[in-house]
Amino acid sequence: MSQEDTNQMLRDAVGGFAARDTSIARVRALRETDPGFDRAVWKKIADAGWTGILVPEKFGGAGLSLPEMAAVLEEFAKTLSPEPLNAVSSLAALTLSGGDNEALQARLLPQIAAGDLIAAVAWQESESGIDPAAIETTAKEAAGGYALSGSKRFAVPFGADAYLVSAKGQGGVIVACVDKSAKGLTVDSELRADGTRVARLKLDNVQVAKADIVASAGAGARALGQAIDQTTILAGAELLGVMSRALEITLDYMRTRVQFDRPIGSFQALQHRAVDLFIQKELSFSVLRDAHIHLAQDADALALWASRVKSRCSEAGMRIGRESIQIHGGIGFTDECDIGLYLKRAMVLSAWLGNGAVHRRRYAALAPALEAA
Amino acid sequence: MSSSEISSQPDWNAYDDDRFRSEVRAFFETAYPEELRYPAFFLSWSKTQHWYRKLYAQGWAAPAWPREWGGMGLDGAKMLIFMEEQERHGIGRTPDQGITLLGPLLIRYASEEQKRQFLPPTLSGEYLWCQGYSEPNAGSDLASLRTEAVIDGDEYVINGSKIWTSYAMDATHMFILVRTDKSAKKQEGISFLLLRMDSPGITVRPIRNLLGSEHFAQVFFDNVRTPVAWRIGKPNQGWTMAKALLGFERVSAGSPKVAQNGLRRLEAVAARLGLMEDAGFRDRYLQLKLDIADLASVYDRFAELVKRGGTPGPDVSMLKILATETYQRLTELTLEAAGNAGALHGKVDIAGAPLDILSPFYMSRPFTIAAGSSEVQRNILAKNVLQLP
Repeated sequence: MSQEDTNQMLRDAVGGFAARDTSIARVRALRETDPGFDRAVWKKIADAGWTGILVPEKFGGAGLSLPEMAAVLEEFAKTLSPEPLNAVSSLAALTLSGGDNEALQARLLPQIAAGDLIAAVAWQESESGIDPAAIETTAKEAAGGYALSGSKRFAVPFGADAYLVSAKGQGGVIVACVDKSAKGLTVDSELRADGTRVARLKLDNVQVAKADIVASAGAGARALGQAIDQTTILAGAELLGVMSRALEITLDYMRTRVQFDRPIGSFQALQHRAVDLFIQKELSFSVLRDAHIHLAQDADALALWASRVKSRCSEAGMRIGRESIQIHGGIGFTDECDIGLYLKRAMVLSAWLGNGAVHRRRYAALAPALEAA
Repeated sequence: MSSSEISSQPDWNAYDDDRFRSEVRAFFETAYPEELRYPAFFLSWSKTQHWYRKLYAQGWAAPAWPREWGGMGLDGAKMLIFMEEQERHGIGRTPDQGITLLGPLLIRYASEEQKRQFLPPTLSGEYLWCQGYSEPNAGSDLASLRTEAVIDGDEYVINGSKIWTSYAMDATHMFILVRTDKSAKKQEGISFLLLRMDSPGITVRPIRNLLGSEHFAQVFFDNVRTPVAWRIGKPNQGWTMAKALLGFERVSAGSPKVAQNGLRRLEAVAARLGLMEDAGFRDRYLQLKLDIADLASVYDRFAELVKRGGTPGPDVSMLKILATETYQRLTELTLEAAGNAGALHGKVDIAGAPLDILSPFYMSRPFTIAAGSSEVQRNILAKNVLQLP
């Protein structure tokens, strides 16, 4: 089967999920609840196979790659479902498989693929840092393992079963798997714009056995860096899904809403505005497509493409969200109108893993000079 | 010159892309005059004819024409490579409208006799063509053109006026859209004629543009006669013929190379003036750099479509908007970066280097106006792609 066929099949499957298992009413009902998503729906997502797309076959997954996961996440994001598919099945699964503890991989990855384990990666500490090595949390060697102390923010999702925590050990960054009920761990939540929650962790001398070290000092920074960059590209796919649906809704509104005896979509000022939003969406689509093409040939360029994708998709997603509100007029500012839900999800996805400005600066540091004239 | 004097062309389309690209690049690098690279303004025929003769002798004057008519016979893929290399090396335009616009139209719609009559002297540069489409009252709304041609015996008699005619002073001939049926719907009464620029009754009035140069003109027709045999296609079919050849042009007009060259100029100015340390400038520069990278991603999508033999749909309009508007913003930031020197004419001293800041700023203005303004392109996208009422 060609990759295009596989992707189409996956997209169709998500379409079935969207029609059967979720709705905007469900999304609304889960807002601001604890933990903010539905484990029964998570199980359905796992049964469909999407939690295991990036998990190697030998650990119970499908062993597929970014383009397939991107196809699923783009469609999934259109439903605005709050289940943390990208955070768990990309970021946590990739961090685990990028680590150097095969016994732990064999124990945890099948559980992630099966939907039985929801793991959150806790790697950020400051508001806009995206360097996984720039952290304060420490890992001190202790009897048979490590003792972790420090604090983490923005771990997705809140309400995870386990947290994959980064810390500075002797010789580099390690990643440790910490159970939610571990002694010395405090987990609080912070509410995001879209009604979902992120976890804020306090670690006070939390003991972690050697067997639970996901990545040792030699492997931690690289495993995290790769997993974060791949997830960043996939967050771009989620943003593309959200902006596409928001634009469709807005265009439908422009075709039907009548003012001054005409559909507002017939006014040139609004038409040109909508065209500019469409162009932003097409730019996002094109960069993502180009990223998949280039990364299939040159995996070393991952960080560069992650930053290009995220800066475009974040800015485009935010702009389409904001301007969709404007085009809807007064009704767009009400909670009852769905368009606001898309803006809020775009805000959350834009901020997550580094917003447009953060990735623009990183792109500058990574970008090669233009070919000499 | 006859086509037997030019070197015969191999089947370029059988070459792999990299080999073709390196052959084209090598020729441009050795044969193109260094002093004409990246021209800041339109070059006249007197400056470029020497280069054109070299191209002609090489057999490369008409890359898109079929080999039987002395072209290179390039398919879409090879044609895009050829144009990318032209832009990469900063090769200036010659008065090329006979080659790029008229040639393909003749090859598709003209009679065999007309092809034999017009294609060889066009290729050799003996006939230099200008395009007579726009009129003072038919700009974006081109189909409302009013220049009229009436049959008198075996000749058309033309009255009216054309404007924005590039290369009108250099041209020996013009291809022109004229109204031949005033009772038909506006797109349906238009015919496509050829005429000599030295015909009695033609007056050419050069128009000075913002750069201070006289690149285009207004052309007046006072009972100008041209043979009925010089009409291409059937009467009243001119509009359809002229529109049919727009697709490929819109893809090549969206090439990111012009903007990439401009970015290098901006980087040179910024480096000389120490602006890369300025956080405000740096962020705007990075926005543009990413915009240009992403423009290249959009361009590649359409280029691949053309390479596979596909025809772009109306969504290709977004490519022209992106390429031209991004380039304009780049010239604006360059102007701003130059500070006081941003209002100085010609090559000016930028911290010790002679750079022309103003000309690219001016030159980029008509990019969003000609060949369907940005606003017309947005109208097309709104109606035909977004399906808005």
